[in-house]
Amino acid sequence: MIKQTIRVLGALGLGLALVSDVVAGGGIAGTVTFTDGPQKRRTLKLAADPVCASKHTEAVKSEALLVGEGNAMQNVFVYVSKGLEGKTFDVPAEPAVLDQQGCLYAPRVMGVMAGQKIKILNNDGTLHNVHPKPKINKEFNLAMPKFMKVKEVSLDKPEVMIPVKCDVHPWMSGHIGVLTHPYHSVTGSVGTYNLADLPAGSYTLTAWHEVFGSKSQDVTVSDGGSVTADFAFALADLKKK
Amino acid sequence: MQQEVYGYWLPLNVSAHGEVIDQLINVLHVFMLALFVGWGVFFIHCLIRYRSGANPTATYDPIKAKLSKYVEIFVVVFEAFLLVGLSMPVWSQFKADLPAESEAVEIHVMAEQFAWNVHYPGADGVFGRKAPQFVTPENLLGLDPDDTNGKDDFNSINNLHVPVNRPILIRLTSKDVIHSFKVPVLRLTQDAIPGQEIPFWFEATKTGGFDIACAQLCGLGHYRMRGQLNIQTQADFEAWLAEQVEEEDDGGFAF
Amino acid sequence: MSAEHDHHSEAHGHHEQSFVQKYVFSVDHKVIGIQYTISALFFLLFGFCLMMMMRWQLAYPGEALPLIGTWFSEANMPGGVMVPEFYNQLGAMHGTIMVFMGVVPLAVGGFGNYVLPLQIGAPDMAFPKLNMASFWVFLPGGVIMLASFFVEGGAAQSGWTSYAPLANIAPAGQTWWLVGMIFLITSSLLGSINFIVTTVQLRAEGLSYFRLPFFVWAQFVTSFLLLLAFPPLEAAGILQLMDRVAGTSFFLPAGLVITGQPLEVAGGGSPLLWQHLFWFLAHPEVYVLILPAMGIVSEIVANNTRRPLWGYRTLVYSVIFLGFMSFIVWAHHMFMTGMGTAMSTFFQATTMIISIPSVIILTALALSFHGGSIRFNTPMLFALTFIPMFAIGGLTGLPLGLTAADLHLHDTYYVIGHFHYVVAPGTVFALLAGIYYWFPKVTGRKMSEGLGKIHFWLSLIGMNVVFMPMFSIGMAGVSRRLYDQTQYAYGAQVQELTIIGSYGAWLLGVAQIFFIINLIKSIRGGEKVESDNPWQATTLEWATPTPPPHGNFTEVPKVYRDPYEYSVPGAKSDFTPQFSEEG
Repeated sequence: MIKQTIRVLGALGLGLALVSDVVAGGGIAGTVTFTDGPQKRRTLKLAADPVCASKHTEAVKSEALLVGEGNAMQNVFVYVSKGLEGKTFDVPAEPAVLDQQGCLYAPRVMGVMAGQKIKILNNDGTLHNVHPKPKINKEFNLAMPKFMKVKEVSLDKPEVMIPVKCDVHPWMSGHIGVLTHPYHSVTGSVGTYNLADLPAGSYTLTAWHEVFGSKSQDVTVSDGGSVTADFAFALADLKKK
Repeated sequence: MQQEVYGYWLPLNVSAHGEVIDQLINVLHVFMLALFVGWGVFFIHCLIRYRSGANPTATYDPIKAKLSKYVEIFVVVFEAFLLVGLSMPVWSQFKADLPAESEAVEIHVMAEQFAWNVHYPGADGVFGRKAPQFVTPENLLGLDPDDTNGKDDFNSINNLHVPVNRPILIRLTSKDVIHSFKVPVLRLTQDAIPGQEIPFWFEATKTGGFDIACAQLCGLGHYRMRGQLNIQTQADFEAWLAEQVEEEDDGGFAF
Repeated sequence: MSAEHDHHSEAHGHHEQSFVQKYVFSVDHKVIGIQYTISALFFLLFGFCLMMMMRWQLAYPGEALPLIGTWFSEANMPGGVMVPEFYNQLGAMHGTIMVFMGVVPLAVGGFGNYVLPLQIGAPDMAFPKLNMASFWVFLPGGVIMLASFFVEGGAAQSGWTSYAPLANIAPAGQTWWLVGMIFLITSSLLGSINFIVTTVQLRAEGLSYFRLPFFVWAQFVTSFLLLLAFPPLEAAGILQLMDRVAGTSFFLPAGLVITGQPLEVAGGGSPLLWQHLFWFLAHPEVYVLILPAMGIVSEIVANNTRRPLWGYRTLVYSVIFLGFMSFIVWAHHMFMTGMGTAMSTFFQATTMIISIPSVIILTALALSFHGGSIRFNTPMLFALTFIPMFAIGGLTGLPLGLTAADLHLHDTYYVIGHFHYVVAPGTVFALLAGIYYWFPKVTGRKMSEGLGKIHFWLSLIGMNVVFMPMFSIGMAGVSRRLYDQTQYAYGAQVQELTIIGSYGAWLLGVAQIFFIINLIKSIRGGEKVESDNPWQATTLEWATPTPPPHGNFTEVPKVYRDPYEYSVPGAKSDFTPQFSEEG
C-alpha cells in the first residue's frame, strides 16, 4: 500500500516536473494574409479519370492559392527555421496522415518530423501513385492500385519542402515539410497558425507558400510569453521569386 | 443497326485509312491459314503414311518436289504483292501525305507519365509557345506566360475531342519517356519520343467515344494511361470548343 | 598438379585431375557444356516461374496470389497482391532470363559446347581455357541478374528491351541489369570466337564443309551472328550505364520533365539511338535462338526418318542467307517510332525477303519426312512438333512485317504470340528434343520414354493454350505489358481468353515436373545403353566411347562420306556412319 502511494506520488511529481518544463516557454501565433485578395482559379480537368470526376458533384478548382475571408491565406507552412539547432525532440508515435480524396491530396501541405511515420490512404478506387521528388531524402515512387488502401512510409532527413505528385492524375500536387522538431503548422481556412510550448529563446520563423515562396522574420520567445508574428504575401512576390 | 465495337477479332473501324488495313490483315490471314493447312495436310499425311510400321524401309533418293517449288514462288509473288500493292500505299498515305494545315484540325498531344495532355490553340487558332521550364502542376503543358498566342490556349487531360469526317493533324511529343499513342478503332499506333515532335493524321468516320491506350511500357502506371477519344459532329465539336474557350478566356492570371 | 599424381597418368597422356579441375574450373568442352546446360535449365525454370506468377495477375488482376503470395515482401506483394512495379520487374526479368540466360546458353553454350567438337571429330575446343572463361563470366552475370531482385526498388523493370529514357530513370536494379548484361555478352563473345576457330581448324580428316552435320553449320552461322551483333549492344549497355552512374546523356535529350521536375542533364542524346543499337543485336539474336534449334531438329529428323535430309545444300545456303539477312531487318521493330517512307520501305522489303529462306528450310524439313521410315520416340516427337510450331510463329510474323498491318498490331499481344511460337514451342521444344536425344551419349543411359511422352503431350497442349489465344487478344487491340488489361473496354472483352491462357501456362508448369523427374531419375536409374550408338546414327559424336572421355576419341577419327547416309541402297544396315570406311 505504501509502495503504491509512493509510486503514485512519484508519478505525479514527475508529471508536474514535465508540465512545468513545458510551461517554461512561450508560443508564437499569427495570421497569414494575401493582400491582393482571392484570385481566379483554374478548373481542374478531373474528367481525365472518370473515377475522379464521379467523386465530385461540381467543378473542382485548383487549390494552389486559396484565399478566404479577410484575405486569409490557406496552406502556408509556418515553421521555426533557425534557433533550435542541437536540440532533440521525440518523434511522435502517432503517424501523420496523407489522404487521397477524390483525386486531391488532403492535406495539400503538411509537416512531419524526420522519421515520423506517414500513413497514406487511398479510398478513391482508382490507381494513384505517390511520387515525392525530394532533393535530400530518398526518392520513392509507390503505386497504390485500387486494392491498396493504406501504405506507410517515412522520410528520414529534414527537408523543406518535398513536392509530392501523382503521375496518373497530373493535377494532384502536395508538399511535405520534414523537420527535426515539432514546431510547424499549416494555416487553415482562416489563415491562422499556432506554435505552442516553444522553449524561451530567439528564433527565425519562416512561412512558405508553394507559389509565392518563403518569408522569414525573427522572433524572441520568453517564458510564459506569447508572441504574434503575421505574414503577408502579394502578387508582387511572384515576380521576385 | 447496333454494331459491336470490340470483339475477338479486329474491332470496329472508324478511320478512313483503316479499311485497307483491315483488308490487308484479313487477306493475309486467309493466305496464312491456307498455306498452313495445305502444308499441314502434307505433313500429317507423311507422318501417317511413312511411319515405321507402315514403311519399314526408307527411300534414299529425295522426292522430286516440283509443287513445293511452285508454292515457294507463289509465296514470294504474293508477299511482293502485299508489300507493293497494299502495305506501301497505306504507309505512304499515312506518313508522306500529311494534310495541309489549312484543311486539317491541328491538335498537339503531349504524353507524360501517365497521362495524355491535349493542347488546343483556342480562339486565335495559333498554338502558344511551350517550354519545359514553365511546367508546373497548374501549367502542365509548360505554356510560356509571356507568349500572347498562348493566352487563349487550353488543354484537356486524357480527353481528345475531334470532329468527324475531317482530317485531324496531331503533333505528338513526350515530356519524359517513350509512350505510344494507340487507338485500336482508328488502326493507329504512334510512338511519342521525348525530344521529337512527330506529326501524324487520321480522319474519323463515325462519332462516339473510344479508348486511347499507351502501347509502350512507360512505368508503373502504364496500364492506366488510358485516354478517351471523343469523335463529335462538327457542331458538337464547335460547341465544346466554345465552352472551353469561355472558361479560359478571362484575360487575367489564374492559379 | 602435384608430382605424386604423375604416375597415375592415363593411357592417352592426360593427368588425373582434382575435383575442382575436373568439375568446376574444367577446360573440357563436355564438362563446360554440361555446366552450361544445368545452369541454363535452372534459369529457364526460374524465368518460367516468374511468368506463371504474372499469369495470375493477368487472369485475376488485384486478387491475392494463392498459396505463395504471402512469401513475398510487403513492397512487392502487399497482402499477396502484386503491385505494378513488381509486375514490371517480373516481365522485364522473364524476357531477359529466358533469352540471355536460358535459351542462348543452353542452345549455344550447352549443346554447342558438348556436341560441336564431337561432331567434327575434335579432341576439344580450339581454346579450352577461353571456353572455361566463357562459362565463368556467364555464371556471375546470371547471379548478378538474379541478385538484382533484392536491391532497393527491385530488379530492372523497363522491359527486356530497357528502352531509354525509362531505363535511365529506373531504380537501381537497372544498373545491376546493365552490369549483368555486360557479363553475359562478354561470355557469348568469348564462346563465339571459340566456335568459329574450332569449326574452321579442328575438323577431322575428310570432313569438308559440305560434309558437316547441319547442326554444326547452324552453330557456325550462329557464332558469326553472336560475334558481330553483340558488340553494339555491349557498347550500348556501357553507354546506358554511363548515363545512369556518370551523368552522361547518350540517350537523353534536353528538356525532359520527370514528374513535374526538370531532369538536370546536359541533354543532346537520342532515345532512338538506344533502340537502333539494341535491335541491331536483338534481331540477329532471334536467329541465334532459332538456328541452333533448326540444327538440333535436323539431326533428329534425319535419324528418325532413317533417310537423308531433303536438300542438304539448300538448307546450308538458306541458313547462311538467313544469318546475313538478319543483320538488315532490325528496324522493323521500330516502324512506329515515326519512321519515314524510305526507311520503312527498305526494312519491309528485307523483312519479306528474310521470310523466304525460312519457308525453304521448313519445306525441306517437311519433305524429308516423305519416303521415310519414321520412328516416333520422345526426341522425335519434340523435334517434329518444332516444325509446325515454328511455322505458326513464322507466318504470324508476316502481318507484323508489313507496316500497314503493323499500324494496328504493333506492340499488341499478337506480337507476344508470334515470337513465343518461335521461341517457346519452337526453340524450347527443339532444345528438349536435343536433351532427350543426346542424353544417352552424356550419361550412358536413356531417359524414360513413358515420362517423356507425358511431358511432350502436356507441354504441347499447355503451349498452345497459352499462345494461341494471344493472336485473338492482340487482334482485339490489347497492348502488351499491361498489368491489368481490363482497364480497357476491348481488354475486358477478351479477358476470358487471358484466363484460359493462364491455365495453359500452369498446365505447362505441371508438364515440366515430369521432365524434371525424368531427368533426375534417368541419370542414375535410366535404361543403360547397349552400344555407343544407341540411335543408330551416322554422325561422329556416336563414334566415341560412352560417355566420351577427356580427349573424346580413342582413335583419330576419319570421315568418309556425307552426314546423313541412312538407308543407302545396297548397304549392310539402314545407316552408314560418316566414320565407317565401308559403305
